[in-house]
Amino acid sequence: MASIARKNLLEDIPRFIVAQAGIMFAVSLVTIQVGILDGFGRSTVRLIEQSDADIWVGAKEMLHLDVTLPIPLERLIQARKVTGVKHAEALMSRQAVWLDSSDRIVPVRVWGFNPSGRLFGNGMVSKGSLETLKEPYSFITDRSNLATLNLKQVGDIGKIVPFRAKLTGLSEDTQSMASSTSLFASLENANAFGGGNNSSLNCTIDGGQVECLNPSQSFNGSKAQTAASSPRRLNLADPISYVLVEVEPGQDLAKLKQQLEAALPGTRAHTKEEIADITRAYWQQRTGVGFILGLGATVGVVVGMVVVSQILYSSVSDHIKEFGTLKAMGASDWVIYGVITEQALWMAILGYIPSMAFCFALGAWTVAAKGIVILITPATAIAVFGVTVVMCVGSALFAIQKVTHVDPAIVFKA
Amino acid sequence: MTASQINITEFIKSSERSVSTARESSVAHLGALERVRTKAVVAKGVEMTFQSGVESSLVLQGVDLEIPYGEIQLLMGPSGSGKTTFLSILAGILTPTAGTVHLLGQEITQMSKDELSKFRLKNIGFIFQGFNLFPALTAAENVEVALRMKGIKGSAAKREAQDLLYQVGLSNRVNYLPRDLSGGQKQRVAIARALAGNPRLIMADEPTASLDSHSGHTVIELLRDLAKESNRTVLIVTHDPRLIDVADRVTYLEDGILKN
Repeated sequence: MASIARKNLLEDIPRFIVAQAGIMFAVSLVTIQVGILDGFGRSTVRLIEQSDADIWVGAKEMLHLDVTLPIPLERLIQARKVTGVKHAEALMSRQAVWLDSSDRIVPVRVWGFNPSGRLFGNGMVSKGSLETLKEPYSFITDRSNLATLNLKQVGDIGKIVPFRAKLTGLSEDTQSMASSTSLFASLENANAFGGGNNSSLNCTIDGGQVECLNPSQSFNGSKAQTAASSPRRLNLADPISYVLVEVEPGQDLAKLKQQLEAALPGTRAHTKEEIADITRAYWQQRTGVGFILGLGATVGVVVGMVVVSQILYSSVSDHIKEFGTLKAMGASDWVIYGVITEQALWMAILGYIPSMAFCFALGAWTVAAKGIVILITPATAIAVFGVTVVMCVGSALFAIQKVTHVDPAIVFKA
Repeated sequence: MTASQINITEFIKSSERSVSTARESSVAHLGALERVRTKAVVAKGVEMTFQSGVESSLVLQGVDLEIPYGEIQLLMGPSGSGKTTFLSILAGILTPTAGTVHLLGQEITQMSKDELSKFRLKNIGFIFQGFNLFPALTAAENVEVALRMKGIKGSAAKREAQDLLYQVGLSNRVNYLPRDLSGGQKQRVAIARALAGNPRLIMADEPTASLDSHSGHTVIELLRDLAKESNRTVLIVTHDPRLIDVADRVTYLEDGILKN
């Protein structure tokens, strides 16, 4: 049996295409906004999720992953002595400034960690290896940051003010959309980049150019840094940001957290999930980002409802006489509601599928081009489908109102 | 005569008058019942007033109409005479301001909206001046819609739709969309749709008004054949004098008053 709804919908192809374009716009807008929100949230905790640490110990004043007070490296040694701790490593976060070959500065965040360790950085490198980070003044960064840093390939050199620094590898999916451009380096290099050596910097100003050498670098009179010996080793008083802890199997995490907090003064221990939740919640709820993206998604739904309502209403208006005829013939109101609702459902399905394809394609492009993740999880896809159906069926209510009030006597008017 | 004797005499006379009145009333009631039983359509004292702001217009003024089973009844009259309003009331689409309508022995003016819908679905086929076909559906699908509403579904509905289109001479047009059919062919699809589910009443509003002479003639013959072959009662509202030849009865409506 022919579906009146489907046939009505396809009766006027240009109008159908316009209608579907409207729905696609709405669905895409909602999906992209939600996808960006999810992608944003995920990107802010990507480093946490990628780590193999069970517990993160930071200053008790920690606001979120990027904003915390320093704790001394000594805490790492103390953590290793706590029963139940299988392994512990230090993670350092430093603010620095990148100066590219065009003298353009870029604020950067340098993450320092042990390249030979097992709790941070594993699996994130797509080109080169973590071992290269053992070279003095070397770093890796996310592939999506190359353009920002005005770098072209591994081996290129720039300046993490005031030091010349070499790009020795590339990582994937490691850039937070909320943070400054992230660079990854060994603890010693990160400490140097972050100003840990600056107590005895040797700087010169020549023609507006600032050139600095750390104490271990030789300076042969040329403007360039000619050799780069290793940055100094860290001492127990040097500040780090977190102690990453791998727990012995079978340990009670809650109990171990308490033990760590007791053993490491001025710290608070969080499980991996907890610190991820804190960070995600901060960015999504305590900043306007979540609100703005949520507002965008709401606008998408509203636009979609307006478009679908208008299309369905005009479609019903065009066929009001046929609907009146069905009523005159004895069809119950529910038969007619069914036709209109089916029409709305077809619009939802036929609008949703190409919209999702478009959003996936767009997401792939934004990741490749800008490192911006539009995260469309199965849950998001299902939820957006639900929203699309509700939007279309909800819009059908306006059209149903019109049919409900149709006078069946109109069928007798020629 | 004493006062009490006078009272007794008065009482007897009064009782005789009451019995006589009751008998007359009972006979009238039985007559009415008989008419309702033997007639397909019985309309009694139908009035319709339309209100427009503070103005009200009386469109039908106590119209009575009876149509026996199996007859073709023509309802003619000038434009604005109330024909279509009367047809709408007889079909249970409009509720009269006053009066009663019995169709096939049932008083439809007492029915609820849902009961009326079910009654129409089961018993009445409609033919409209503007055809009122779904433009996106083929001829067969337009008929199938009506069949499906009446509970005939799937391949049975497909077969039945093809049979009905065959009956109206459109077996070679089953998959045509309305836009690819002539006016006469569209009206024949509408007739096939009206016959879906084999209703006992057919109500047609100006069925030939939009048709040329040849198509009109074809439709007229079709209506006559369908009425006579299946003993259907057909009520046609029309201006078309060509239909007078096929009608068993012709009634004129003018200024809301019926004239036979």
